[in-house]
Amino acid sequence: MKKVILLLSLSMVFAQVSFTGNTETRIGENRSGFYYNETLINTHLQYGNFNNWLQFEFSDPPELGRSLNGMRKLRLEYDHGDLSLKLGDLYEIWGRGIVLNSIDDQPIDRDTGIRGLSISYNVHPFEVQFITGKAKFAQSSIYAPGFDNRVHNYITNHNLYGLDMTYMLGNHLIGTSFLQSKEDHADALSDTLNIKNQLISGRYSYNNTLYDFYIEYIMNRSFEFEEDNASYRDHEDGRAFYGNLNIYLDLFSINMEYINYQFGALDPLNRWDIVSNYGMFQPFQNPPIAMNIHENVLMNRISHQSDFNNEVGYKIEIMGMLRDWIDFFGLYSVSSRSTPWVLSSQDYSWQKEGEKSHLPISDLAATPFRDVYGELSFNLLDGNFHIKIGAGDSYDVTELTSHTKTDTSSAKYYMLTSGQTFPLNFSYSLENGWSVNAKIETQFLSKGFGRIETLNGSTVIDTFYSDFYNDINENGIPDNDEFLDFETNHFMSISIGKSPRWSATLTLDRTNISKTGIDDSHHLNPLEEFLGIDQTKNWVNIEIIYNVTTSMRLSLLYGSLKGGLICTNGVCRIIEPFDDGFKLGLTTVF
Amino acid sequence: MKKLILLSLLCGSMLNAEPLLDTALPNLSFKLMDGEHTSLNELLKDGPVLVDFWATWCAPCKKEMIHLDKFHKKYEEYGFQVLCISTDSPKSMSKVKSYIRSKKFKFLVGLDPNQQVAQKMNALLLPTLLIINQKREMVWFHQGYLPGDEIEIEEQIRHALNIQDEISE
Repeated sequence: MKKVILLLSLSMVFAQVSFTGNTETRIGENRSGFYYNETLINTHLQYGNFNNWLQFEFSDPPELGRSLNGMRKLRLEYDHGDLSLKLGDLYEIWGRGIVLNSIDDQPIDRDTGIRGLSISYNVHPFEVQFITGKAKFAQSSIYAPGFDNRVHNYITNHNLYGLDMTYMLGNHLIGTSFLQSKEDHADALSDTLNIKNQLISGRYSYNNTLYDFYIEYIMNRSFEFEEDNASYRDHEDGRAFYGNLNIYLDLFSINMEYINYQFGALDPLNRWDIVSNYGMFQPFQNPPIAMNIHENVLMNRISHQSDFNNEVGYKIEIMGMLRDWIDFFGLYSVSSRSTPWVLSSQDYSWQKEGEKSHLPISDLAATPFRDVYGELSFNLLDGNFHIKIGAGDSYDVTELTSHTKTDTSSAKYYMLTSGQTFPLNFSYSLENGWSVNAKIETQFLSKGFGRIETLNGSTVIDTFYSDFYNDINENGIPDNDEFLDFETNHFMSISIGKSPRWSATLTLDRTNISKTGIDDSHHLNPLEEFLGIDQTKNWVNIEIIYNVTTSMRLSLLYGSLKGGLICTNGVCRIIEPFDDGFKLGLTTVF
Repeated sequence: MKKLILLSLLCGSMLNAEPLLDTALPNLSFKLMDGEHTSLNELLKDGPVLVDFWATWCAPCKKEMIHLDKFHKKYEEYGFQVLCISTDSPKSMSKVKSYIRSKKFKFLVGLDPNQQVAQKMNALLLPTLLIINQKREMVWFHQGYLPGDEIEIEEQIRHALNIQDEISE
């Protein structure tokens, strides 16, 4: 009798349980010995107001990161009307993510999740969230021992707590956040420093049918614990501001963003050194960048790297429809450091030059960035024929290596990446489910080392030494006459698909330059041999996607990949460089 | 042992051809583009809902949304709605509303910047589509977009609405 009651009780319990999940398997191996084999399994168990998320990883090794065989993530959630509790691995965003935006970005192996407790209370128009927990942030840094592109080599431990509140009044929303983290920070001498970071922000937004805007002001302070006095002393003090204005008109919309991040200004030599510098921008912050995430492959490869400690910039985008079948998109974005930097004539240490600017500066000594892009899209034949044509120009001073100045002269040495890119996409679909897609992108890329010298206000030297050359001689170094002003890149892909079942894509990624130090004794694979191409300057692959069922997708790639964001077969992914091999992917949902 | 568990899970999911169908979803809540909140139960009051996960940087998603907007308008009278949930992170979320307004799309737009809803609905890839009936059961699931998929999408919408007539333009 007891057994029957138990069985009945269990069946009643399980009748109310919903269980879903997914698996993602990726296996790859190439001729240079790069190998990965990883599977992620996510499960979601729901019973009444409870929800449980478990993620398992089985990898040996993964494409990026360290091997793990077992549970990777765990979260238990309880929702009861206005109240929500979460216990376990938390990924939360406050406002626009300037104070808190914890993410798990697996394609680049960036996990800034917090393991702890979140309590949210939401009674319209009031929302409040309290969060507390621990986090272990792993990063790659050339300033820490054991640098490896594939596996993180620098870890900081944080103990966090914070509170976020918002109040909505009609179209107005006001909010405030406070977050504190106590950090164990290993410095360059491997001593562990005890740092306390505090972030306080206030935000306001307003929206109506014609326009909306969002502003947020953030203050950060950090303190370093002194063993001698057994107390914290002031370390850093920074400020940041973010603004966003959208205007909606009949024919078009305008999107404007302004960033002014001054969490702590670091000189050009040290600005990427996360080991010796601390108490400024934190890994759990992941703010807006005021620049465009381009859909085309070649422009994404030269994306600007934001310096969140010190970046001032803005972005203006305009998008709309000229006709029902013609869309347009235009973009202008600029950014720089808040001050130029100069080497002191006394001790050759870096110094800020002049007052902080709240607008981007075009001076090379402030490492400016500029991106201009325009695009037209045509949807013809009742949406069955789609053409997109674009043109982009980007200019990015990536590093300032030297800037000296006297009363009458100045000399600047800098690293520059600039390019003009012309993407063209078209797709045509037939009524019986067959379709053809093609992408052709061309880029003229200039990359190298610049030198500009002035005397009495006149430019006397303005030279640029390109990184690119056409071919190398038998000693493995370029001949002087082989240097090229531009690298010409072509990205071409053509795919044929039969909806909803399968598609096949042939991709050719081509450059006109060689690089020294690359082993060119590699095997010419049958695909390259068939196409009769030079492997040293081409990356060719073929990928087949097969939807086994609506919830199972299989992909098989053979060939080489140059890397970057690639959208093929209807799916976008960031793909790591890969040289001559196979990649197998299987996603299932259950 | 772990490999065996993994293998059996994979094989199990492979053998189960349409495992998702009729799975009841929790009453998830969504943040809409205009700042308001809604829940799955509220959305399902009048009829089934098609949920689409997309992002402003995902070109195939945008191609698909042109068709989704047509279906939203065409089947609105049957109580059907399309909810397109943007998974844009704060790096690109300011663009979501401008894009939707410039295209004059009429469907509902949700925001899921930390992909919590996408995770609960098993949206591994972009775009991912789900059709949910009024019992909160997932009746169709689809990953990715190939030109021509809109034919299958419309068939599935009509199936969810129990419409037997021939498709008209």
